[in-house]
Amino acid sequence: MKPAPFKYARPGSVDEALALLQAGGDEAKVLAGGQSFVPLLNLRMASVESIVDLNRLDDLAYIRRDNDTLCIGAMTRHRQIEVSDEVQAAQPLLCRAAAEVGHLAIRNRGTIGGSLVHADPAAEWPLVAAALDAQLVLRSQDNSRTVAAREFFLAPLMTAIEPAEILCEVRFPVAPAGAVWGFQELCRRPGDFAIVAIACQLTLDDSGTCSTASLAVGGAHSTPLHVADVEPIVVGSQGDAAVLTAAAEKAAAAVDPSGDVHGSADYRRRMVKVLAQRALKEAWSA
Amino acid sequence: MEASQGGTGKMVGAQVRRVEDPRVLLGKSQYVDDLDLPNSLALAFVRSPYAHARIVSIDAAAAQNQPGVRLVLTGADIAGAIKPLRVEYEPAKAPTHKPCDWPVLAQDKVRFVGEAAAVVVAADRYAAEDAAGLIDVEYEPLEPVSDVEQALAADAPLVHEEWGDNVMQTLQAEIGDVAKAFQEADCVVSERLTTGRHMALPMETRGCVASFEPATDTLTVWSSTQVPHVLRSHIALVLDFPEHHIRVVAPDVGGGFGQKGHLFPEEAVSAYLAHRLGRAVKWIEDRRENLSASLHAKQQAVQAELAVRQDGTILGIRGRFVGDVGAYSEYPWGSAFEAGHAASSLPGPYKTPAFSFEAVSVATNKTTIGVYRGVGLPIGVLTMERLMDLAAHKLGLDPAEIRLRNMIRKEEHPYTTIIGAEVESGSHRESLQKALDILGYQECRAEQQRARAQGRYLGIGIGCYLEGTAPSSAAFASMGLNLGGYESATVRMDVAGKVTVLVGTHSHGQSHETTLAQVAADELGVPLADVKIIEGDTNAVPYGMGTWGSRSAVTGGGAISRASEKLRNKMLRIASRMTEVPDDDLELAEGMIRRRADTTPLMPIKELAHRVLVQAGSLPRDEEPGLDATAHYEPPPSTHANATHIALVEVDSDTGQVTLLRYIVVEDCGTIINPTVVDGQIQGGVAQGIGTALYEHALYDENGQFLTGTLMDYLIPTAIDVPQVEIGHIESPSPHTPHGIKGVGEGGAIAPPAAIANAVADALAPFEVRVDAIPLTPERVLGWIEQRQAAA
Repeated sequence: MKPAPFKYARPGSVDEALALLQAGGDEAKVLAGGQSFVPLLNLRMASVESIVDLNRLDDLAYIRRDNDTLCIGAMTRHRQIEVSDEVQAAQPLLCRAAAEVGHLAIRNRGTIGGSLVHADPAAEWPLVAAALDAQLVLRSQDNSRTVAAREFFLAPLMTAIEPAEILCEVRFPVAPAGAVWGFQELCRRPGDFAIVAIACQLTLDDSGTCSTASLAVGGAHSTPLHVADVEPIVVGSQGDAAVLTAAAEKAAAAVDPSGDVHGSADYRRRMVKVLAQRALKEAWSA
Repeated sequence: MEASQGGTGKMVGAQVRRVEDPRVLLGKSQYVDDLDLPNSLALAFVRSPYAHARIVSIDAAAAQNQPGVRLVLTGADIAGAIKPLRVEYEPAKAPTHKPCDWPVLAQDKVRFVGEAAAVVVAADRYAAEDAAGLIDVEYEPLEPVSDVEQALAADAPLVHEEWGDNVMQTLQAEIGDVAKAFQEADCVVSERLTTGRHMALPMETRGCVASFEPATDTLTVWSSTQVPHVLRSHIALVLDFPEHHIRVVAPDVGGGFGQKGHLFPEEAVSAYLAHRLGRAVKWIEDRRENLSASLHAKQQAVQAELAVRQDGTILGIRGRFVGDVGAYSEYPWGSAFEAGHAASSLPGPYKTPAFSFEAVSVATNKTTIGVYRGVGLPIGVLTMERLMDLAAHKLGLDPAEIRLRNMIRKEEHPYTTIIGAEVESGSHRESLQKALDILGYQECRAEQQRARAQGRYLGIGIGCYLEGTAPSSAAFASMGLNLGGYESATVRMDVAGKVTVLVGTHSHGQSHETTLAQVAADELGVPLADVKIIEGDTNAVPYGMGTWGSRSAVTGGGAISRASEKLRNKMLRIASRMTEVPDDDLELAEGMIRRRADTTPLMPIKELAHRVLVQAGSLPRDEEPGLDATAHYEPPPSTHANATHIALVEVDSDTGQVTLLRYIVVEDCGTIINPTVVDGQIQGGVAQGIGTALYEHALYDENGQFLTGTLMDYLIPTAIDVPQVEIGHIESPSPHTPHGIKGVGEGGAIAPPAAIANAVADALAPFEVRVDAIPLTPERVLGWIEQRQAAA
């Protein structure tokens, strides 16, 4: 379990990193927190010609509120988000999701950007990014673009990022007035990748009637899946059981899961329904 | 109550701090991988990606030419130089057993995913792995034998062609009139269940360093092993190398649990390479190798029936256990051991007048199975305890009550069981009663009712067992196994009156440096700090069997007691001459030679030691010089520990997820040497048993492809998944062993599958589910619920 040989560079600035990537072409890979990439290298399930290590880029590790947007630098560690008062105030669902990422040692090292670009469909960050309609800021040496999280994920471990691009920033909308959320994750042990996870955010008026709704599914599809069809069912309701069941069934119908040793495709689909119901109920009872 | 470390009070039973802890907790332990010999080379094995395939050719040219590569060897290169590992039982005792060769590098074909087909010797492990990736092995895939059902079919492909079928061994026994028992029963219950293939998974993987010194013609092997002498003898055998020129050292070892009680192909190859190259070689396996290529355990399919009277009295039991033993036979124990052990353990602590069993061990194209903490007992106990709950349910009895009615009573000891074991003492009913008290059984039942009314499913599950610990040499001989059950110790006193104990057991987490020192301190009347325990070096310690089978406190402790007794008698004889007090009026205590009657100190032990060892001219002429003694201790035919485990679980009926709320153990391992160490053994054993019950599953697909090659796929309970075990102790000393010690190493792992499976069945009683398999994965549990709902 030793990696094959590779070249290694640890740039001191984003520009330097982008130049290295540009020069490296398809054969250069970015190393962020390394919590997934390094095991893949050690197992020789991935091998690369060169690695561009971003861990010296402190200017990519920040949490900043910009009016209605919460901007998080891609090299921000999971744990920094989990315990951030600013995140808690602006979008508490992120703190909740961060707490479910792996174990403490993993959260101290792993980064939000690394997790998003790794694009494990069962991971927490892709899920909440899809649920909250996050925007991802990608830079290359001569370009900068913003991609919606809902467009970013293409397949398991595949995204819209180009080889010469670095994900620099993740932008989450600040939770609006009346926002409530639910987060449910089923895994074999705390800290494991989800068998199924659900994140949802609703806005409720004073009477508890829903005006906007967004729900996404993790672990049960090739990508984190925002289920747009849930919104029309839920909006205008007060969260009675029949609505929750209908919404959850819609979510379960939307996914196309594949199975693994922890749960078959069929089990995952059924769990989407169970957890979607629970997540919506959690949101309403917040 | 904690005795002070320097005290000289009675040490057996005292809660002294573990001598090992400062070293372990500060990261100062020295494991095999910490040993860096000059000019050492690293090994990497090329392992089969196929479950069953013929090796057509191996092209190692590209690997040979890699920078840093010293040598590449294939099976063809070592055939004849290293004998295959071949487990032979005495045919008269094991007439149905079929031996097989386990080549240390595959010869004509590979028989499981992960089998070693070639080895690379290179400057470091990186270079070795790079080169291993360049070795081109051409395989011709054969139809794999992927499960026992397929293996037993008439037209099954053969794992070992020379057998003619895939059955390694069939054991059968009938004691009493079983047919009559079932005819006369008021109630018969039956159970079919399967257990998941899983494994010991020590935190430190396997590994060894081997070196050869031409000047002294000495082959030294440092190995992460539980059995240094056994390893030495078998390395000598398979390499045909003189055993007195081999030294095996087991340094600090990070867990074994049975897995490291073997000689492995990789160790034999390492020793061979060190000799051949005249260079030190190091092999440290990675986690993927440990998961796929070490040893698995405990995959069995069980069918069993229990016949009882209306009042719950057991009339008869019968069971059939089919073990999926994988490709080869664990060396030198033999993989067929496990199924027989499971089957014969069925009656447990329950008085049983008629019993029959069959145990069939079947080869498949999977990793070989081997002994793992509790061996067959967790499966036998799971089966019996499920049957007891089923019978209780059918008869309308409380699950605790049916057990209490059938258990061996205290006044019935010594009690001879249906399989002829003499249970010398025990506390079966008492341990169950005490565990129920700790739980607050009636309150829990009331809480269960309240929770059900709210749609929450709580369950209480009981698991009781009787464990034969520290098997004797005769016990192995009766099965035809070529293994000893005895142990050896040398006790030495130095000129300052301090004691060095050399013993053939080996501690890899069991805390022998503390517990065995406690025994020696009491035997020789010296402070605990004056005793040093040395294990694990065949050049230092007398020939012994190592540590497994809950044996070390009994056998290592027994050998130390006997050796100490010899030394003590000599010391008292000499002291008697010096003090002119008859030796039977003398004792060793608190560092002194004392008058027994009134404890008057007569002479410090260190003064006696100095006079015997240094001022030897004053020694009586008829006394041999020296202050050391060696003893070899054969344990009694049987020592028996017992325990009751109770699990309290909650099951989420929508997801199938099982949550452990509480876990209670009341154990009886005879005399406790150190309560902290016993508690640690229980907590650790229960953690592994929880893995068996809920998480661990080494999975193969229908092609024999291994699916759980990382710890993301093969799940073990972590610290957050294991509750703090609530432990109660009862001590029923063995009348047959020094200090009444019985052994506790395996116990914690034996009953969790039974207790947790029963708890889940109890929780889901409203759905009338049939718990017929472990591990109890969420999907499986939900499937049971939905099956019943669909049927209703």
